Amino acid sequence: MMMGATVLAVAEHREGRVAGVTYELVAKGRELAAKAGGTLHVVLLGHDVGALAAEIASRGVDVFHVEHTALAAYTAGGYAQALSGLRPKANPRVVLFAHTTQGYDVAPRLAAEWNAPIVANCVDLSLEGEGLVAHRKILNDKMAIELEVRSEQPYIVTLRPGSVKPAAPGGQGAVTGVDVPLDPTRNGRTFLGYEKTQVQDIDIASADIVVSAGRGIQKKENLKIVEELAKALGGVVGASRPLTDLEWLPKTRQVGQSGKTVRPKLYVACGISGAMQHIAGMKDAGLILAINTDPSAPIFEVAHYGVVANVLEFIPALVKELKGH
Amino acid sequence: MALNIVVCLKQVPNPDLQFQVSGDGKDIRRDALNYKVNGADEYALEEAVRLKERQGGTVTVLTVGPKRTEQMLREALAKGADRAVRVAFEDSAAMDAFQVARILAATIAKRPHDLVLTGVQSDDYAYSATGALAAGFLGVPHASVVTRIEVTDGGLKAWRELEGGDQEVVSLLRPALLTIQFGINQPRYAPLPAIMKAARQPIEEVTPADIGRASWDAFRGPYSMAVRRVSPPALKGHAEMIGGSLPDQAKAVADLMREKGFYRG
Repeated sequence: MMMGATVLAVAEHREGRVAGVTYELVAKGRELAAKAGGTLHVVLLGHDVGALAAEIASRGVDVFHVEHTALAAYTAGGYAQALSGLRPKANPRVVLFAHTTQGYDVAPRLAAEWNAPIVANCVDLSLEGEGLVAHRKILNDKMAIELEVRSEQPYIVTLRPGSVKPAAPGGQGAVTGVDVPLDPTRNGRTFLGYEKTQVQDIDIASADIVVSAGRGIQKKENLKIVEELAKALGGVVGASRPLTDLEWLPKTRQVGQSGKTVRPKLYVACGISGAMQHIAGMKDAGLILAINTDPSAPIFEVAHYGVVANVLEFIPALVKELKGH
Repeated sequence: MALNIVVCLKQVPNPDLQFQVSGDGKDIRRDALNYKVNGADEYALEEAVRLKERQGGTVTVLTVGPKRTEQMLREALAKGADRAVRVAFEDSAAMDAFQVARILAATIAKRPHDLVLTGVQSDDYAYSATGALAAGFLGVPHASVVTRIEVTDGGLKAWRELEGGDQEVVSLLRPALLTIQFGINQPRYAPLPAIMKAARQPIEEVTPADIGRASWDAFRGPYSMAVRRVSPPALKGHAEMIGGSLPDQAKAVADLMREKGFYRG
């Protein structure tokens, strides 16, 4: 098959809502399609989601809408089948997914089934002639890497959320319904339902000041040092994932992609290196102060103020300074 | 129902270290790295051992990597794995997840596998792709980001973690592949006698011929993938660093908190 010029961006939606990352894919996809001399289409897979198709089209982008009862809930196999069914019609050069728990669940599977290259968790990408150039971050975001891929198969890419500004509303795209035969019995995986945990705890997302602890506190007993700073500032204690995994703090205190997204006026990161999953949950705080022993920790990239120090020594000194006046 | 479980492990450079660019600018310097088992894979191993203890069966640990990975495999044996397999793929960087996953799938296909577990992502490249790729090549169902597993008749029930902390529950037919999320369990430490015993256990080595191909290159996808450049990241922004001695730093931050109105007093 001749390499096409179409870029497909696979929309992400759950329980009647389009995920914001979809519009980030639209922004990047538009740029790639212009370069390829083709067009961008958002692929919307679902059941009874006509309203979402219209919502996406109102960002000025064309939509391929596959309607099927088998797509009522997301499954990797269902999405892969639908995209394979759409492939001959769309003849894509690039298929874009968000690097989310849905995107990286299905994109690699599709790559295996299409025998196509996958470049996952990109922070930027571009087309150069027939080739794809991907920018990624590796080793806890401490190094950047540029990869060049050349393929006659479509490039399958996942784009890290927050890497580009989402496309703004405006314009009117066309919605094209596409019929794709699907056989859900072939997938071997069935969606059963969602579980939402409701635990009674303070809501760190509504606090003005969040003081979060990370692995740098070393021992559970040292949590009290962080609690003391939170108390002095009138804030609440949050945590990075490793601490809630260790059950030093309840899951409700976890800041990040799989926990809470917080936008406090002040965020203090105590001994948190700043893995991408954590940064996704706090980067929009008004003022970010980070304390870490490692000067190359990625947290310093998003922080406004940084202190290279051992939190276990620094925080008591800071509390003393605050109270000393 | 006894389960034959295969756990795919990766040995990664300790991500807490600082890294330097290699002389040719296309990799990191690897001469003085210290390697460890990938964080999420430790949880996958622990989950496999717990399933075996509950259900009966075997746990085989499998890695694709150079000789240094034997250390990691022995640690896994000491923590409860029954067998260890090293695919003798000597490329220390192993940048192409497609190729690695295809090698894994070909190796797994040759042995009993009711269930395949691996970590949700690697600490070095963070593709989160190898598991689902391998499942695709094996032709078995998969689920990513799993935080809980229940064994059912002929299948599995798995809880997938979604953004924002919600869970999605799915059922899968066996054999299946699951990528395991951090925190699904508390990984154990290996007891000393088990460490001693593991030091003497054999590690099976797999060559391309063992899985039906002439070379590792035969497992590549129909495309080229080349590293153009590895470099320290161009920073979008950077914190204003507060230097000086610890008391100076504490005073400067206290002043800042007052100035911005976060502390009154």
